[in-house]
Amino acid sequence: MIRLLFLTILSVNFINSDEDQHMHQHSHSHDVYVQGEKLEVDQKRFKKFLDGLNNSQVAVVNVNGMVCDFCARGIEKTFVKDKAVKRIDVDLERGKVLIAYTKEKEIDFDEIKNKILANGQNAIDFIILDI
Amino acid sequence: MNVESRPISYSGGHTLMHFSDNMKESVYYHYSPTYRYSFGIESLDDKILNTSNSYLRFTYLLNRKNTKNAQRNLYFQSGLANKDNNNFYGIHGDWETRRYFVGFNYKEVKNIIDYTDKHIQFGVAPYLGEYDDFHTWLMLKTKKNSINNKQITYPMLKFFKGNVLLELGYDKKTDWDIHLMYRF
Repeated sequence: MIRLLFLTILSVNFINSDEDQHMHQHSHSHDVYVQGEKLEVDQKRFKKFLDGLNNSQVAVVNVNGMVCDFCARGIEKTFVKDKAVKRIDVDLERGKVLIAYTKEKEIDFDEIKNKILANGQNAIDFIILDI
Repeated sequence: MNVESRPISYSGGHTLMHFSDNMKESVYYHYSPTYRYSFGIESLDDKILNTSNSYLRFTYLLNRKNTKNAQRNLYFQSGLANKDNNNFYGIHGDWETRRYFVGFNYKEVKNIIDYTDKHIQFGVAPYLGEYDDFHTWLMLKTKKNSINNKQITYPMLKFFKGNVLLELGYDKKTDWDIHLMYRF
């Protein structure tokens, strides 16, 4: 929990137009580092997800049991009903769900957990990035 | 995963299925109020006993274990027929990762002749597709029912993309297995 809070605080105002200044990408890895902390997302996928996003918050959620595309469909369908959700992506390989919210949204992990549980999977933890 | 490995959808999800093999031909619609259970209706033609039934079906998730790389499920399934108490009940279980799948199904069916129907299915994904990709699985299915009492084993191919899933199997004795599923 402390690590989560630490990462969240560190990531405030992370990835603005000057992305390189804040996001250090290791060329030998597919992971993304946020000021030295490994985010464990697919680099290309994450950059594509962020493309065009601004004034937003991104929740990176670790999910257990998300083993197939067909089984994960409901996650996207559930989250897009929320008007505060701008974009969502599912990373099956790393078991992560990325949710871009409006800046005004007060992100509640219990709400995320319940929505993912409604699809039959378990959200384990998450971090929030301000972009 | 296979068609029968997902007898319950996500909360609020609808599913439409068509299933055809040497034993039966059916159209099945179900709705899942929560991820724990689904109910629906099925119209089924039994090709062996030459009967037709409509079922009110109920499926309940008895147990699920989610881990980072796998999911394991155990379901209770049942169907109440519209005539002659031709009801059925059974269990279904599966374990799957992104690469491998193992599932079984056991069903007790009341009909003109009561019988049991069971199968085991194994699968491997030749490549690991990402979300929104076209996914392919190579499966092997072995099944047996107490009417003809013969074990039949045959290969199947499974494809899915988005909300559509198709399974095709072929055996020269029993002809085609065709399962089509659409979720909405």
